[in-house]
Amino acid sequence: MRPFTYTASTNKEAALRAFTTTSHYLGGGTNLVDLMKEDVARPDQLIDVNNLEYNEIVKNDKGGFTLGALLSNAATANNKDVRQNYPLLSMAMLSAATAQIRNMATNGGNLLQRTRCPYFFETSMPCNKRAPGSGCGALKGMNATHAIFGYSQKCIATNPSDMCVALAAIGATVEVQKQDGSSRMIDFNDFHRLPEDQPEKDNTLNQGELITAIHLNEPAFSDHYYYLKIRERSSYAFALISVAAGMQIKNGTISKIGLAMGGVAHKPWKLTEAEAFLTGKSASQANFEEAAMIAMKAAKPFEANKYKVDMGEKAIVRALTQAYERKY
Amino acid sequence: MKTSNESGVGNAINRVEGHLKVMGKAKYASEFPVPNKVYGQGINSTIAKGEIIGIDTSAAEKVKGVLKIITYKNAEKLKGYDQEMPFISTDTIAPVLQSNKVHYFGEYVGFVVAETFEQAQYAARLVKFEYKEDPKPTINFDKSRNKAFKPSEKSDYSRGDFKKGMSEADEVVTQTYNTPIEHHHPMELHATIASWNNGKVLVYASQQIVEDASIAISGTFQIPNEDVRVIAAFVGGGFGSKLNLDRHVIMALMASKMIGKPVQATVTRHQMFTNTNMRQQNEQIMSIGAKRDGTLTALSHETLSHTSIKEIFQEPCGMVSKMLYNVPNNLVTARLMPMNLQAPFAMRAPGEATGSFALESAMDEMAWKLKMDPVEFRVKNDTQHDLHANKPFSSRLLVECLRIGADKFGWENRKSEPGTNKNGNWLIGYGVSAASRNSPYKKTYAKVILKLEKDKVNVTIQMDATDIGTGSYTIIAQTASEYLRIPIDQITVELGDSDFPPTPGSGGSWGAASFCNGVQSACENAVSKLKKNRNIKNSEEVALADLLKRNQLTSFEAEGMAEPSDAFSKHSVFSFGANFAEVWVDKDTGMYKIKRMVNVASAGKILNPKTAYGQIIGGITMGAGMVIAEQSKIEPNFGNFITRSFADYHVPVNLDMANVDVIFLPEEDKIANKMGIKGIGELGITSVAASIANAIFNATGKRMRDLPITPEKLIEAGLEPGVKI
Repeated sequence: MRPFTYTASTNKEAALRAFTTTSHYLGGGTNLVDLMKEDVARPDQLIDVNNLEYNEIVKNDKGGFTLGALLSNAATANNKDVRQNYPLLSMAMLSAATAQIRNMATNGGNLLQRTRCPYFFETSMPCNKRAPGSGCGALKGMNATHAIFGYSQKCIATNPSDMCVALAAIGATVEVQKQDGSSRMIDFNDFHRLPEDQPEKDNTLNQGELITAIHLNEPAFSDHYYYLKIRERSSYAFALISVAAGMQIKNGTISKIGLAMGGVAHKPWKLTEAEAFLTGKSASQANFEEAAMIAMKAAKPFEANKYKVDMGEKAIVRALTQAYERKY
Repeated sequence: MKTSNESGVGNAINRVEGHLKVMGKAKYASEFPVPNKVYGQGINSTIAKGEIIGIDTSAAEKVKGVLKIITYKNAEKLKGYDQEMPFISTDTIAPVLQSNKVHYFGEYVGFVVAETFEQAQYAARLVKFEYKEDPKPTINFDKSRNKAFKPSEKSDYSRGDFKKGMSEADEVVTQTYNTPIEHHHPMELHATIASWNNGKVLVYASQQIVEDASIAISGTFQIPNEDVRVIAAFVGGGFGSKLNLDRHVIMALMASKMIGKPVQATVTRHQMFTNTNMRQQNEQIMSIGAKRDGTLTALSHETLSHTSIKEIFQEPCGMVSKMLYNVPNNLVTARLMPMNLQAPFAMRAPGEATGSFALESAMDEMAWKLKMDPVEFRVKNDTQHDLHANKPFSSRLLVECLRIGADKFGWENRKSEPGTNKNGNWLIGYGVSAASRNSPYKKTYAKVILKLEKDKVNVTIQMDATDIGTGSYTIIAQTASEYLRIPIDQITVELGDSDFPPTPGSGGSWGAASFCNGVQSACENAVSKLKKNRNIKNSEEVALADLLKRNQLTSFEAEGMAEPSDAFSKHSVFSFGANFAEVWVDKDTGMYKIKRMVNVASAGKILNPKTAYGQIIGGITMGAGMVIAEQSKIEPNFGNFITRSFADYHVPVNLDMANVDVIFLPEEDKIANKMGIKGIGELGITSVAASIANAIFNATGKRMRDLPITPEKLIEAGLEPGVKI
């Protein structure tokens, strides 16, 4: 590992002030420290923010709950309010990583975890995300786990988070502290970005901004929800495809729906058209199948990840069916 | 005299070294408190083929604590291979940093030594290599076929007339089965603390065979073998990766010689993909011919694999097809392609693990074609004579394994038509496979030291055997307890030091039989010598303490030796087994669960059912790993492994594992050796993959011939012709 300085902040002002162009905030460190060992992340300074106060779950003015950015994934997923009101989020979070990693990883950090693209990890290979301008190795290389939506010629990587797929389905707002001491709100769907010409930027945070809270929308999917994660082994594996499905159903009709997909794009992929199609329709197998076709219509797979189109369709139908039938 | 053998052979006692391990007192290679030790870190090439044309060490040299940077430019000249493309073995020399040539991505090109581990790691990153890259490295399996060669005359085998046998068949199966590159990945990273002191070498290293490690070291440095001492007191798993000497040991020793301090070097998990052996990719083409009644008429097993540019290793995948079934016409071949990859070497039942996947899948395909029960098909083609070696088997209970396994598993509930056993979204399948594993037995020495202390005899056993997590300490102590007739708490076992009497070490499933017979001989010699001195008849039972007293001795030492008998060499000695698997496959997502497995093992005398059970379920987990997810992927344009850690190299997690029942058939194979022991370490993995793949076929009607069987492959696979769902 390269030498770096470590600063433990006890208040947010000090943390924000200490931040420079080569700093990283340190939460659980489950992703950042790995990347430092791999020489992919090369911060000169780590600002440990774990002592800051953003570690509670409280009611917010949107009728929902707010998750502190520094609360661990495990504590969040197992929290009574989260389990009762956002079982979809809980289910997604508990499908991620391992118990040990979930104990360490923070909610803010989960939003910032970086891609698992192998070209990003091997410093001798080209990767525009790690070394802008070096090229995308995956484009004509090994891309079986890569994006089928929203990629660019500069980057075809995917976002690896499970939590974020559920957040995209539920709807949330991310609160961040700016270096000047003020704060701003980012709609969750605008938090992560597509790679376009700047794949080095995973999200829309500005330099030095610190995530302090995730404000969840009003709970709507505590009766009908499912997080389906297709992966190579039963735990500790990233999703090949994942689907977060939440529905509010009244007299057999879908009055509200949240549907998002993981493992398919540079950001958690909200299935807006499929959501619009299903809203107001009956919760039937035929409608689920049509929604899945609509959702996958725009997919542009590579030879090696063609399977994701078929798998994605089946996964959407299955997740909706499980949610409808309440098979948890 | 009453024998006190609650701790003797056959008892399921706890591990004698277990307490040391949980207390952290069992010392692994990198844990010895060697004074003044410093730290070395290997540097890996970042091209697959080419030459180093420039090295800039200036930035690394400025790092605080850096003591030495070794590259081909200043490395000591070492012994090279005596011939082009040598067959590598467990005692092969390990020259390193000898030229500017790069043969594969990840090959060691430098070694940095510093006061601390962190300094060495950091400085290693700062050494800059400039390469003249060969634009066409051989890194693509399919594009290398024209380079295939026959590694030796012994690579090919035939009996009868294969073509004639196929022409006599009523049904034929010809299919190709692929297994990917896999890596051993023991939990303990390969590590060493190496000291060069006035021409004497002391090396703590994670090695399976200390004797061969010392031979490789003395051979590489061209020094007398008696000047080399290798210690491997505890080894945290090997699986073949620690059979031979890896090059970090040579680099650490070279550095120690240069700077005059002991050097510790630990291979990183990432480096374990490129510097500590692997299993190569195998393409196995199987052809089977059978009569309508299930009688086999012909069987061929042709394997295409790769080796390195500089060395030869050939995994004997076809071994199992030569001896498992009663087939008169048999053809087995092997071809290798040199590729710009590290040399493959023995991994987890080399030959049997991969070969049995191909053979036992093909047998299942034939049973399906014949509409015959897969258990009955195997039973019908059983043989008590090894047609390949032309010798009788010393013992072979394969049919019993299959029958008892079928009974315990509930095989009669299997639905023979795929896709007909359903539960909600799940398709349920049953699969079976037969297992066999060669059971070698090798010359072994052991020393027993008796000390009379207050009417009690304390015993120390010394031998250079290793315990690689298998339970050697325990079964050796149990053997001494059995043959000296003293409780196990009076026995201390000291292993893994090349100064101790030589053994073949751990590997190839020969450890337990070899070690224990060696110890038995030493114990028997001690007792009979003490009796002879006092003219006591051998048949007369005298307690060990009384024997020493009657000899007026307070201490006594004896050595023993065991080696294969004539009877052993006149027989074919194998362990046998059967695997049964129930697998639930999701009809849409391609995900599946191994619900339960039954394994029946016929492996001679079971020395300790507890440690033996551990060996079998460990093997089954590895077999499940072969099916579920294990594979190391090579980047097609750069030649590096894109699987870099346990996050990408998927081994089974607890949740993947089934409920596993293991049944040991009571057996003592006295032809195999005096104590009746056969190998068990590798039997567990053998044919597990086939039983699961066969269960997946039975569930889905999809025949999966490429490992691992991942959700994406299952979802894309079509139904096998003839399957109606």
